[in-house]
Amino acid sequence: MDNEYIRFENVRKEFPGVVALSDISFSVRKGEVHALLGENGAGKSTLLNILHGVFPATSGTVYIDGKPTKYNSTYEAITQGVIKVHQEVQVVENLTVGQNIALGFEMVKGGFLDYKDVYEKCDGILEELGCSFRSKDPVTGLGVGDLQMIAIAKSLYFNANIISFDEPTSALSVPEIEKLFEIIRNLKAKGITILFISHKLDELFRICDRVTIFRDGMCITTKEMSETSNEDLIHLMVGRDVSSYAVRTQPSCADYSEVVLEAKNLSGMTFDDISFKLYKGEILGFSGLVGARRTEVMRAIFGADPLNGGELYLHGSKVNIDSTETALVYGIGLISEDRKREGFIPTMSNNRNVNIPGMGKFKKGMLGLVDEKEMLDNFNNYAELVKLNIRNPEHFTVNLSGGNQQKVIVAKWLSTKADILIFDEPTKGVDVGAKAEIYKLMEDFVAEGKSIIMVSSELPEVIGMSDRIIVMREGRINGLIDKKEDFTEVKILSYAMQEKES
Amino acid sequence: MVSRFIKKNSRSFTTLVALLLIVLVFSILSPRYFQYDNLIDIVNQGVVNGFLAIGITVAIITGGIDLSVGSTMAVVIVGCAELSAHQVPVVIVVVLGILMGVLIGIINGFLITRMNLQPFIATLGTNQIFRGVAYVISNGEPVLNIQGQFRKTFQFQIARGIRMNMIFLLVLAVIFAVILSRRRAGVYIYAIGANENAARMSGINVERYKMFAYIMCSVGAAMAGMVTLARLGTGEPTAGEGFETMAIAAAAIGGTSLAGGKGKILGTVLGAFTISALKIGLIVIRLDTFYQFIAIGLIIILATYLDTLQAIIVRKIAKRKKSQ
Repeated sequence: MDNEYIRFENVRKEFPGVVALSDISFSVRKGEVHALLGENGAGKSTLLNILHGVFPATSGTVYIDGKPTKYNSTYEAITQGVIKVHQEVQVVENLTVGQNIALGFEMVKGGFLDYKDVYEKCDGILEELGCSFRSKDPVTGLGVGDLQMIAIAKSLYFNANIISFDEPTSALSVPEIEKLFEIIRNLKAKGITILFISHKLDELFRICDRVTIFRDGMCITTKEMSETSNEDLIHLMVGRDVSSYAVRTQPSCADYSEVVLEAKNLSGMTFDDISFKLYKGEILGFSGLVGARRTEVMRAIFGADPLNGGELYLHGSKVNIDSTETALVYGIGLISEDRKREGFIPTMSNNRNVNIPGMGKFKKGMLGLVDEKEMLDNFNNYAELVKLNIRNPEHFTVNLSGGNQQKVIVAKWLSTKADILIFDEPTKGVDVGAKAEIYKLMEDFVAEGKSIIMVSSELPEVIGMSDRIIVMREGRINGLIDKKEDFTEVKILSYAMQEKES
Repeated sequence: MVSRFIKKNSRSFTTLVALLLIVLVFSILSPRYFQYDNLIDIVNQGVVNGFLAIGITVAIITGGIDLSVGSTMAVVIVGCAELSAHQVPVVIVVVLGILMGVLIGIINGFLITRMNLQPFIATLGTNQIFRGVAYVISNGEPVLNIQGQFRKTFQFQIARGIRMNMIFLLVLAVIFAVILSRRRAGVYIYAIGANENAARMSGINVERYKMFAYIMCSVGAAMAGMVTLARLGTGEPTAGEGFETMAIAAAAIGGTSLAGGKGKILGTVLGAFTISALKIGLIVIRLDTFYQFIAIGLIIILATYLDTLQAIIVRKIAKRKKSQ
């Protein structure tokens, strides 16, 4: 291949129980902007992490400029000019721009840090990038776009040969994106090779030369951007056997004559104009890419975050849910996507974790002590219902497998008698067997005339489980798919990735 | 039932062993140590710290801290002294004293839950403020003319050396322990300390229960204040200065984790008596009081190191089991 610069050869990465990358082989030309495209979890970031020395590949080789290359740390990669600009740039507040650029690689003269040369060199780079700030300015108060410029300046400071951008535009405004693209074009003109991850297809067409498509940890193909189209790319990204899991085993029991929950023009810090209806007995899917702000909407409905505007109606009457406690009283539960941080109390047993929200019910005597016997009975009932493998009520939830932890959390919310449950990524980090059981619990729940909102980034799950699908993009609802025959990955992805045509 | 109690309070038994060891060592060193009057004196000396420590334990379990307990004591001391000097009946003085504690707890709780200040900073600030309030109330001078009846209420001996204030500590400790282990509020306080996010996402009103914890904390300090007032007989606005450190020490020796989510009232009470047993022991063997500081410091470090050591041993055993 002509002027090939980076070559991945049979790169494979295994994590305990998961194959994240299998036999990735493709190459990147010198001085091109090369896009990596794929669904969440397709393996793009894993590959970049291997390239940048975050962790080693299980097998396979990365060649840079014809030589097999393996960095033992990101530090080593940076000194070799292989640098990554992260999605959210981390800086040390209180230090100056120049100090941040040189952080970890400060120059030393006579035992003291020498910033004079650093500042001089940085100012030259900042000038070249067209930045309005200089190296002696504090980073405090700089915007996201400016921080990204600092990261790019850092890569130039180390004479980068390869720069990777992981979703660089997700937090930028339109003019900032324009400026970034201008800079990327300049970097390219200097002969720097650029890897570019983005979910925004229009950006890829504007800035990239070629694209490599990933699916389920495999590399599907590499294409010239000039020889492909939106539809083509989306088809290449999906195209998987959907029927293999996440299917409804019972007929839909949605009753479209009864609205249970209605959101009218909800807005918050990161989302705007969210309106939808949830019907009795329905599983309403919320699809979208990571960063579409679905979780934020759900947290606001659940009272965990404040709403800036809009109205929420429960069974036709307006409600104001200002705390999670209020949500609990109104019969709304949320099963968080971040189990470890938000799902359970690590120092408590399964019994306690299941009974925590509903504890008010189990009081006895004049002193209002908790009734341990009733709680144990309650635990046993729900542990049986969710088929918890380890039934020991004294067992600590933190020591269970992901699937069993999720069952404990589902049992917790079922026991509160909530009639609306919000499942945020219900099967994230859950093994296949437990997945099927959680799907069944969801079906049983709606069969009782209760309703579910399911946020999921797994397309087969959304397609298989939902009665209707709402697709969000960048904090707004970008599409509603209410006919089963329209439930296709292509359709959902095009709503998730493309600007709404209006 | 008994075995379950031991299992749930295993860390407190470690503290009990430490306490008994200290008693044993000093009993060997000095024949005057293991005598009824001396042992009662250990309890007596531990009462004020005990009240402060059981309160601060509750605040620490939520993942917070209350550095203002010493000044809270002082406010209650001069407040109750003024009331008593103005012939207010004892029962009303005591009730108002506890209410002062409740009010102070609400102030600390408000700063922490509504204004989102870090507990350390918030109570560092209120510690200064409450001290100032105590000076303002008393005009900087000890309040005199406390009713004998007030002093008698706390100092009354029901048996040789056993005073009412010990009974009060027992009662409040039992109340706190029951709230923490057998009532919903207690379970929620532990939950908040162990994982505040998860607690909130379980529908717990985190702000309300944190507020409740700080009220419990200040009520403990208020009781410590009234006991001190009854002992001294005058309302000293300088009382309780720096007492928060010994209260935290008692909690730590008793097994309370400063990271939150862990701790027992029983352990804390034993921790307070461990400190007083050590102090009195050093006096009995006529060691210079300067050494007290060193000894208490060592005990704090040793006791908490035991926890680390225990964790390491548990991990090693688990590893060995796995590799077999």
